Amino acid sequence: MTPPPDATAERRGGSLQRRLFLGALVFVTLALVVAGLAIGLVLHRFARGQIDARLDGALFAILADLGPGRSGLTLTRPHDGPPFDRDLSGWYWQVRTGDAVLRSASLAGFDLALPPIRETPPGRPRPADGTGPRGEALILRVLYRPGDARAPDTVLVASAPAATLHGPLREAGRTLAVALGLLGLCLLAGIALQVRLGLRPLRRLRDDLAAVRAGTQTRVPAGQPEEIRPLVVELNLLLDQNEANLERARAHVANLAHGLKTPLATLALTAERHAAPDLAPLVASMDRQVRHHLRRARAAALGGPARARADLRAHVDDLAGTLARLHAERGLAIDVEISAGIPVACDAQDLDEMLGNLIDNACRWARQRVRIRAERAGIQVEVRVEDDGLGLTPQQTAQVLQRGRRLDESMPGHGFGLPITLELAELYGGSLHLERSDLHGLCARLRLPA
Amino acid sequence: MKLLLAEDDAPLAAELLRALRAEHFAVDHAANGEDARHLGETERYDAVVLDLGLPVVDGVTVLRDWRAAGLTLPVLILTARDGWSDKVAGFKAGADDYLVKPFRVEELVIRLRALVRRASAHGAARITCGPLVYDAGLGSFERDGLPLRLTGLEWRVLTCLILRKDAVVPRDALIERVYDGDADVDSNSVEVIITRLRRKITPARIEAVRGHGWRLHAEPEP
Repeated sequence: MTPPPDATAERRGGSLQRRLFLGALVFVTLALVVAGLAIGLVLHRFARGQIDARLDGALFAILADLGPGRSGLTLTRPHDGPPFDRDLSGWYWQVRTGDAVLRSASLAGFDLALPPIRETPPGRPRPADGTGPRGEALILRVLYRPGDARAPDTVLVASAPAATLHGPLREAGRTLAVALGLLGLCLLAGIALQVRLGLRPLRRLRDDLAAVRAGTQTRVPAGQPEEIRPLVVELNLLLDQNEANLERARAHVANLAHGLKTPLATLALTAERHAAPDLAPLVASMDRQVRHHLRRARAAALGGPARARADLRAHVDDLAGTLARLHAERGLAIDVEISAGIPVACDAQDLDEMLGNLIDNACRWARQRVRIRAERAGIQVEVRVEDDGLGLTPQQTAQVLQRGRRLDESMPGHGFGLPITLELAELYGGSLHLERSDLHGLCARLRLPA
Repeated sequence: MKLLLAEDDAPLAAELLRALRAEHFAVDHAANGEDARHLGETERYDAVVLDLGLPVVDGVTVLRDWRAAGLTLPVLILTARDGWSDKVAGFKAGADDYLVKPFRVEELVIRLRALVRRASAHGAARITCGPLVYDAGLGSFERDGLPLRLTGLEWRVLTCLILRKDAVVPRDALIERVYDGDADVDSNSVEVIITRLRRKITPARIEAVRGHGWRLHAEPEP
């Protein structure tokens, strides 16, 4: 199963807004995570540096006060001031030379287990991790003093509980995460706003195009942002070209009509003069063919993207005036009951063609009255053309609107122009129905898009 | 009755001239818009048959110019353009009637006669003057219910007089409406035609108004 083509197209097209926003989301998240990690690392180093400096200070102080004693190791001054005085606080120090060991009071006699220490450069403390007598994690600083002939190597260790480092770091991390999260949200909101604002001209362009399609505007307005201005220019050129094509097609059809029908008229007159009655139906048939195909050619030229809009009332008034004159000898009353300002989404010429045929037909068959009314019917407009003539039987009605009828078949009675009207109406997505009028004649109901 | 035919297609114009003259009309022919406009402005016609697709100046422009200049002569548009929009545009430009090619001569003639009758403000299709009746639809005359046989020139003079019955028709106006370019004016001077007509239409009479023109009367001279 292949997906329907428009679904594929939609997937390929996607939403510009969503694409921009998702892209921004990925980059902002990535940037914030990297920033968070970097800041965390710096904080960790800073805090660790603080603790290390304190432990190193203690180590160098002890080293300075270290002297040989009875047991081989003594301190000239006590070094059990706070925080090395509280039992098992995690703040410990320990000095070992050979078998002699000195410990801080806080160790309470326990031995501070040393991790295996790689060869350490003398005179500079180095970091290590260890575990205290209670099993607590410790941060260690180890200072190594090489021995000489008189004394063995001395190893000094100072420790601080790991919690002193990790507790505040966790705290700072939480605050940092919240701050960065808030920053991210602000950034994303800003980006969303920017995308919306930035894409607003596109939405406006869509509205403009819709207006062109609906016929309320003939061109897309030129006042557009620089980036979409070329697009609008191209669109307008396309619209102009379309209009020019339509005009050309119409002019062509008009020329063809003139070129074909004038000789036809001459032929008809010549036939009449030579009293050749069998020529008359031939001429009439040729005329019908010519008219039909010219109309088709004109209709084919239609169907561009731009649809015109015509005011129904104005067109009906003009046509009623025209038909009153064409049927001047009959003295018909043509009543137009249409309120002003009902627009119809139709090309003006096509509207004239449809309504003209209906009103002309009504005039031909009316005894005295023709009535034209119109009202909106949802998204359509319904025009009703009624006469007080004889009307049609249902069978005749079906016959009159029958399509695919041969053109040279003479159509009896009603409806020379009715199939044309039906064809045009359907081209516009409208309809034509014939029924009995309460004026006793025919009522033609024409529905067109509003 | 005198017509102006503005049609650029020579074969059609020839056929139309022949057909219209056979129906007793005096017809002048213009083959382009400029000539048509000039003739319409300078000559006197009872009606104009105007093609829209004229060279030099198109028919609608000619018609608009006439109307703008205050010319009220009846104009029938004869054209290949059969769209309703074209018809509306034609009437808006000031046309009085509209006929689409191809057409039947009969239809054209009936429409022309009706146009002329309406232009002379006669509402009815039959105009009566005493025993004399003019049927504008058929273009025929009756006297006391019997058809009156008239030559083309006689018919032109009599229609001109009966459409303006009881009014004086000036001599030059009558002459302008009776003769077209091809007529032999000398042997058919309007006085000769009137004399012949007087015999045919009694007891209705044609009164000569000295130095002015003629008038058609229903009653015989007292």
